[in-house]
Amino acid sequence: MQFKPLRGDTILTIVLAAAALSIIGLLVGLAVELYLGAASAIYKFGTAFLIGSEWNTNKDILGALPFIYGTLLTSAIAILIGLPISLGVAIFISEKLNNHQTIGYLLGTMVDLLAAVPSVIYGLWGIFVLAPLLRDYVETPLHNSLGFIPLFSGTPSTSSFLTAGIILAIMIIPTMSAVSRDVLKAVPNSQREAMYSLGATEWEVTQKSVLPYARSGIFGAFVLGLGRAVGETMAVTMVIGNIPSITANLFSSGQTLSSLIANEFGESYGLYRSAIIEIGLILFLVALLINVFARLLLWRMTRGTRVKV
Amino acid sequence: MKIKEKRRDVENELDKHNYAETEVYKMKSAYMIALAVVVIVIVIGGVFSYIYLGRSTTSTSTSKLAAATLNGAGGTLVYPLMTIWTAAYTSAEPQITISYNPVGSGTGITDFQGQIVDFGESDAPMNVAQYAAIPSGKTALTIPISASAVVPAYNLKLANGSTLTNGLNFTGTVLANIFLGNITIWNDTQIQSLNPTIPLPGTPITTVHRSDGSGTMFAFTDFLSQASPTWNTTVGKSTSPPWPKTPLETAGYHNAGVATAISQTNGAIGPLEIAYILENPGTIYYGTVQNAAGNFILANVTNIAAALQAGASAGLPAGNAAWTNVSIVDNIYNDAAATNIYPIATLTYALVYEQQSSYTQGAALVNFTSWVVNSGQTLGQGLGYVPLPANIVAVDNATIKLITYNGTPIEN
Repeated sequence: MQFKPLRGDTILTIVLAAAALSIIGLLVGLAVELYLGAASAIYKFGTAFLIGSEWNTNKDILGALPFIYGTLLTSAIAILIGLPISLGVAIFISEKLNNHQTIGYLLGTMVDLLAAVPSVIYGLWGIFVLAPLLRDYVETPLHNSLGFIPLFSGTPSTSSFLTAGIILAIMIIPTMSAVSRDVLKAVPNSQREAMYSLGATEWEVTQKSVLPYARSGIFGAFVLGLGRAVGETMAVTMVIGNIPSITANLFSSGQTLSSLIANEFGESYGLYRSAIIEIGLILFLVALLINVFARLLLWRMTRGTRVKV
Repeated sequence: MKIKEKRRDVENELDKHNYAETEVYKMKSAYMIALAVVVIVIVIGGVFSYIYLGRSTTSTSTSKLAAATLNGAGGTLVYPLMTIWTAAYTSAEPQITISYNPVGSGTGITDFQGQIVDFGESDAPMNVAQYAAIPSGKTALTIPISASAVVPAYNLKLANGSTLTNGLNFTGTVLANIFLGNITIWNDTQIQSLNPTIPLPGTPITTVHRSDGSGTMFAFTDFLSQASPTWNTTVGKSTSPPWPKTPLETAGYHNAGVATAISQTNGAIGPLEIAYILENPGTIYYGTVQNAAGNFILANVTNIAAALQAGASAGLPAGNAAWTNVSIVDNIYNDAAATNIYPIATLTYALVYEQQSSYTQGAALVNFTSWVVNSGQTLGQGLGYVPLPANIVAVDNATIKLITYNGTPIEN
């Protein structure tokens, strides 16, 4: 008997294929549009744009290095603060609260709610509540006691790399915790039981059998968080001070790729606008590179290991 | 036997199938009816509200204007005022819809050049390159529609614990030196000598400015360029100037961002739009600026309007000429005869084409612009917008008369 595919199935295949290909088409279209918009700036500045550190719109001397530095620095601070905390939350909920399902559920729900708060709310809260608190209770003591380190040598201020980094950390913790918690919960109990039977302590069980098993999933959570930190615009714009600068001083004002676009796109024209679109292209490529790099690393890490993605 | 059983099974399956079909069919038809009812209700409701609410309460409109929609795009400085104008104008001429998009002066000019809006709006007049990008065969008319002024706002605790209130004296040179980074503490001799009665502390100065482009930054940097040759060569005037690095520096997004940054930092100083100060009295303090006559002027609506009047009396170009070098600040910078004018005042401009491509749009545009310039000026005073003085209104009226359709001027 020959089976002729039903017409409905053929149509379904075509529709699904179109949807999938349209995603790729969207990505390609986005890259092409960005490139076309940035063309005159790319032609004028070339690679000097990536390493130039002066942004002078009057004289048309434009360089993106301060903004790349700002994006990388604030994301690094966010990950350094956010990853341990979100891992801690995830481990606490999935390992320690196994006998207290209700509290675990409540905690998990509250973390998810934090992830749902719009970023501009974080920015407003940050600028009015967090920034003065940070300046008075974190930056000033750090400056007074550790001022000899270049990181803390500047004058404490309400708009700085550190404030932006901490707000970003608060924003990415919910996402990373939620994904990590799900991943850790999915580790089969046989792994834990095996370790317990060998006489391991609770922390040894977590560290040696649960975490390595969930390594790829936690890495996925890390990439998600990093992606959000790199692209975050409004919350960062409100607390970073918007001054292009490359300095080790964490208390200095700075500027990121996304906050530059938010600030200056409206009033720009001509070559200046083209340069801002090129900044957008750079941001797009940075995000892409982070994802590609993360995937490659993940592939290397999980080769030969039995994993549940 | 097996075939019979199979046939019975198949028939049972079909019966079940038919039964299921019937159930589904019933459900489907119920849903379809419900959906149809909802759609009909929405359509009828929409039609009724269009007919009923579309009618204005003053239904006897003697205007000869045909219905039209005017689209505009431009800076954010004039956006709150544009909202008031839209509401007031639509109640006078309900058949005209005004839609303004505050995308920023740069995008406003680009949209105007691309002819995708009826009028553009910009906080600074078009420069040479922008005039060159106007389509050939078309002439751009520049029409000042409102005005603004920049004041030096600050936040400073004095040595005795009290906060410094309005009225600290500044000159253009001192302001330029502060923003160049040459003056870094408050009790520097340059500032103290202007204010001998105020015991200024040694607090370090934090300079605050806008992080986004703005017409008020254009006026402020224009003033600083006049006051300081160093500023003129290193920074110049622009809506997004390359601010020099000072020891303590931060930038805020929009006026609100600048005001927040100033109020959170002791020792901060920054240029702020007068409209923000007048809308939020008592929340932030600002100083005086010395004008050409040597007087220290604390900005208010009266002395800003006087500044606009004096600046325009030096002569404004015709509407269809290039306005690239028009600057109220430049015109009044050396005007020593005007004793009570505030030196940092600026206009904001509407851009329209002299040659309109549609009579309906052109007539609506002429009517709206004329209304804005003549009747709309007093409406913004509650929000701190300064009404245009009579001489600028006269120039605008002459420019509006230049608008043509097929070569014939459009009568208002």
